[in-house]
Amino acid sequence: MTRNWPHIRHIALALFCAAGAIYIVAPLAIVVLNSFSSTAYNVFPPEGYSLRWYENLAQQGAFLGAAVRSVILATLATAIALVIGTLSAYALVKYRLRGRDIVKAFLMAPVVLPSIVLGVALFIFFVRVGIAYSYPGLLLTHVLVVTPFVIAITAAGFSNFDWSTEEAAMDLGAGPIRTFFRVVLPQIRAGVLTAGLFAWITSFDQVETTLFLVRPGDNTLPIEMFLYLQKWQDPTIAALSSLLILLAVAIVIVMSIAGRNRTPDGLVMQGKETSK
Amino acid sequence: MSVQTLPTDVIAPRSRFWQKLRPWLLLLPAFALMTFLFVLPIGAFLEYSVYSYERGRLVEDFTFKTYLLFLTDPYYHAIIFDTLKMAAITSFVSLIIGYPLAYGLWRCRWPALQRWYGLIIFSPILVSVVVRSYGWSVLLSDQGAVNWTLMKLGAIREPLELVYNLTGVVISLCHVFLPLVVFPIFSSLVRIDPALREAAMDLGAGWWTTFRRVIFPQSLPGVVSALQISFTLALGALVTPAVLGGGRVLVLPLQVYRATSDINWPVASVGGLVLLVMALITVALCNRLLAYSES
Repeated sequence: MTRNWPHIRHIALALFCAAGAIYIVAPLAIVVLNSFSSTAYNVFPPEGYSLRWYENLAQQGAFLGAAVRSVILATLATAIALVIGTLSAYALVKYRLRGRDIVKAFLMAPVVLPSIVLGVALFIFFVRVGIAYSYPGLLLTHVLVVTPFVIAITAAGFSNFDWSTEEAAMDLGAGPIRTFFRVVLPQIRAGVLTAGLFAWITSFDQVETTLFLVRPGDNTLPIEMFLYLQKWQDPTIAALSSLLILLAVAIVIVMSIAGRNRTPDGLVMQGKETSK
Repeated sequence: MSVQTLPTDVIAPRSRFWQKLRPWLLLLPAFALMTFLFVLPIGAFLEYSVYSYERGRLVEDFTFKTYLLFLTDPYYHAIIFDTLKMAAITSFVSLIIGYPLAYGLWRCRWPALQRWYGLIIFSPILVSVVVRSYGWSVLLSDQGAVNWTLMKLGAIREPLELVYNLTGVVISLCHVFLPLVVFPIFSSLVRIDPALREAAMDLGAGWWTTFRRVIFPQSLPGVVSALQISFTLALGALVTPAVLGGGRVLVLPLQVYRATSDINWPVASVGGLVLLVMALITVALCNRLLAYSES
């Protein structure tokens, strides 16, 4: 074997990774393909192509209503969780609290709990105190689910935060609120944005925790889809899924563009700090 | 710095009290949220585990009947066993698939390919679990693409039964967890000092020996956290077993879901408690393993 050829185990690894990529993309690709099928039953390859499932989807008011509800719910939950989470992350990073590890573990506890257990526990509790199916209950549940992620991500964003800039602003007479918005927030912006995006997606995707908390007829989008799938399996759900995949692709593109613009910036900033 | 610390020393005690209170005030909203939506609900949940359910009605008494049911009834034993089996197979298969992918991503020489491959692995996180499970149910059905390909290749004559059984649930769950498995392994690989690998190679260790003695032990923390994530998430998975199990894969989360709908809250409560205990044992075991693998 000559030196120019890659070793057989590198070829094997590359082939395995290619197979892995197919495994990852296949179920999403088949959904998009299936959404253009002309038949109501699932068969590969499709027997014909049409847009009838998209037309059918457009007539299903329930899905549109559910999508609007999900977007509003995810946006409100993200906004509230960002405020609560950033306050907590700031307190946890800045102050040497007594029992900080216990506080952290307590705030992270909802992540360890299986989602279905949290969902059922909240449902039983809400029934008990008489606020079952209420909107504040649903909203605060989503806030609870995403807040641990916001705390973890924003706390990481504080890791190379220059605390002397905050002190400088306060010494120069800026109040705590003004200091936060003018000095602290711009520096941790990347972490807060990442946390917000992650929180939004997590809230938008909640099934187990939300299943019992929505009033029947007022479902969020993933739950409407889940319940639809329990009854029917026609490609209407494929058409809707394709639109959601399109949304995900758009998010990836926006993120990679934003990331490309930010990385050199961040590198320059870090370079400046280390050169000091 | 010395100028900074001066005022706090001369400030009146009342102000120092506020200074000490400030972090707790900042944490107050999070604590309030946790108390009302986590601590109290879990308390109510536990309370129902000692109530009983008779002739379709809840009876608010005090009994360990439901606990005894889970301890003695073979039906519940089978469900708990199936749940553990599904979680074990799923996390094992995800690690077998995920480790080489993380390794390949780490060893990739072309930055552009590395970035795109990373994007391909991680972007499915953005797509709902419902959509992905639906995709697998289409892909794995008797007339689906997988059976079609295998029949065209002549590997099989009759379509394989891949949906509405454990196989389909495992294939789909592995897909859902794959990014969460690759990420910790990849990040522990990235932390390895490249000089270590070169030193091993220079000292005459072959590829396999280098991997076995140097690379793999260093990546163990990532493997353990990947195991913890996939196992605990698989224990609590509801959507995928519901969509791909077709009512034949009876795992504990589905049982809890049904019991809640039937207002059999004592069974839902004890079932949930069993799930929680299994998840906590997994976390504790993995933390021990993690401490062991890092030493």
